[in-house]
Amino acid sequence: MDPAGEEAHQVLQLSVVLFCGAAAIWLGVVAALLYTARRRRKSLSEQSASRFILFGGAVLPSVTLAALLSYSLWLMPGLRPFGQAASAVLHVEVTGKQYWWHVVYRRSNGPVVVSANEIRLPVGQRVELTLASSDVIHSFWIPALGGKMDMIPGRTNRLSLLANKAGTFRGPCAEFCGTSHALMAFAVVTMEAQAFQEWLGTQARPSPRAADDGAALFLRHGCGACHAVAGIDARGTIGPDLSHLGSRLTLGAGSLPNTADAIARFITEPERIKPGVQMPSFAMLPQDDIRNIAAWLKDLE
Amino acid sequence: MRVNWRHLAIVLAVLPFIVLFVAWIGFFNVGASSGHWKITEWFLHFAMRSAVRTYALQVEVPHELPRHAIQTAAGHFARGCAICHGAPGEPRSPAALRMLPQPPELAQKIGEWNDAELFRIVKHGIRFTGMPAWPTQARDDEVWAMVAFLRALPPMEGEVYRQLAYGAGGTPSLRAVTIDQAVVECARCHGNDGAGRSSTIPVLAGQSEAYILESLLAFADERRPSGIMALASIAVDNQHFPELARRYAAMKSVGPPRPAPDPSLLEYGRAIATKGIVAANVPACVGCHEKPDRNPHYPNIAGQPSAYIKAQLELFRTGTRGGTRYSHLMAKVAKGLTDHDIEALANYFATLPASTATARR
Repeated sequence: MDPAGEEAHQVLQLSVVLFCGAAAIWLGVVAALLYTARRRRKSLSEQSASRFILFGGAVLPSVTLAALLSYSLWLMPGLRPFGQAASAVLHVEVTGKQYWWHVVYRRSNGPVVVSANEIRLPVGQRVELTLASSDVIHSFWIPALGGKMDMIPGRTNRLSLLANKAGTFRGPCAEFCGTSHALMAFAVVTMEAQAFQEWLGTQARPSPRAADDGAALFLRHGCGACHAVAGIDARGTIGPDLSHLGSRLTLGAGSLPNTADAIARFITEPERIKPGVQMPSFAMLPQDDIRNIAAWLKDLE
Repeated sequence: MRVNWRHLAIVLAVLPFIVLFVAWIGFFNVGASSGHWKITEWFLHFAMRSAVRTYALQVEVPHELPRHAIQTAAGHFARGCAICHGAPGEPRSPAALRMLPQPPELAQKIGEWNDAELFRIVKHGIRFTGMPAWPTQARDDEVWAMVAFLRALPPMEGEVYRQLAYGAGGTPSLRAVTIDQAVVECARCHGNDGAGRSSTIPVLAGQSEAYILESLLAFADERRPSGIMALASIAVDNQHFPELARRYAAMKSVGPPRPAPDPSLLEYGRAIATKGIVAANVPACVGCHEKPDRNPHYPNIAGQPSAYIKAQLELFRTGTRGGTRYSHLMAKVAKGLTDHDIEALANYFATLPASTATARR
């Protein structure tokens, strides 16, 4: 009820109009009911009764429904503006995976930025999102910005969003996708255009702390086989990109607060935090190594 | 007196007590010295043969017996089987000859069974005889290796057998107490140079020390199922494990890269090893293995025999491999591999020169 984007605003408007329309029709029906039940009845002539049935029973509902239908259809191209897609400067590819979100930012001018479980969008700039899935059906939904759309394996769906208010929102997976479906969410941050460009710039570069001591441990234990970290020899694409993990708002696709302790806990017992998660437990690593890797990951901003 | 249903019922009700009573008195002689009655012997043998024949029906026989694994099986035969059944050039132990039933000299008996029946006997053993089951039920590949060896047994000369089972190291002691005895025991199959004497045996020379030690411990307490290594690792006093691991790790791996098969298969293997299969959640092998500065619990795979790599990946995939505290990582990885992937990976790593850099502890 508090839209922060063009599409969410339209959804709200549509709901209000349909609700008011429905209320008006309901009032009309109740009025007609009361009219038939009035105490002193003076029967209508046959001609006026026929006319009443024709207009009240056929013409009026058709006109009302046609009006509401055309209004909602008129809104639809706004939700799926294929024509406008080319004009969008920023494309964001989101791939749903059990149980996290792979996010790729593509600009017409500038390098590709890879991230996970967090989506940042500029205010006042239309963004085209390309939605896909690599395993089962997920559904992408940012209630504050627009309607939901399914992510279907083997298919690419498109969603266009225009944020018009800066803020932080939550986006859940809106289609049951497995044991940790309820733990599959992402943070959405809408930023002023200038701040967004700066943020994207920092994301395109490796974190200044990437080469710290934790990196050697991270590589030594093979974490880089599944996770990528820009700036070091870790290029895995099976798990979420961790290049700037420290600056994300949540951990494990919205399942934990992003602290070094929580990262260490996730490394130790991912299955207890997210049942069915692909990541195996690394509880057998030396405790010091786990703590150092977690602290290093938290420093990646 | 006429016998009617009531009498019969009374006899049936009392019979179990009579049987219990007779057993309690101890009238029945369980001594092995006097042997069975002829009829008992015939009946037990008849029941055993029938049961083996029937249960063998559900055994799936491979297209070809794993003849490349005969040396491995011979090494196990010397420790686990020869004491009762004898071996080419080695008579059965006099103690075994006094067992009831007497364990047969195998050379004459093998021909009476087909492959499935031999598999059934070797894997499950035979009840009421001294024939034990295979030490683990999770390693059909080892049991088939033993069947292949048994098939090769009848015409085998004593000299050939000794070469297979003992190599150059001489006969093993019953229990390896000293480190020298332990080395002899290992070298029977792993060789004095740690290169492994058959393609089902890994190259230990230059392998990471921590990995060898952890694996020995895992074999000994059966976290890594293997009938062959279970016997061998229990035969060696485990205080020698660290020294054995150190010696093998220090050996120089000399094995030449094995001949390259189909180049497209190798190329595919290389692609999986270096990039993984993202769609099947298989990470790149080199993410953990082969890097000089890796965790020493991640073993060298370059230069290992392809049959060994293939068998391990298949065991990981079925979830029965076990091993070090890190082995669950591979169980997860191998789930996404198809038979073709495994074939390609095994061939690719087998043709790589063994990595010279040994992981640091």
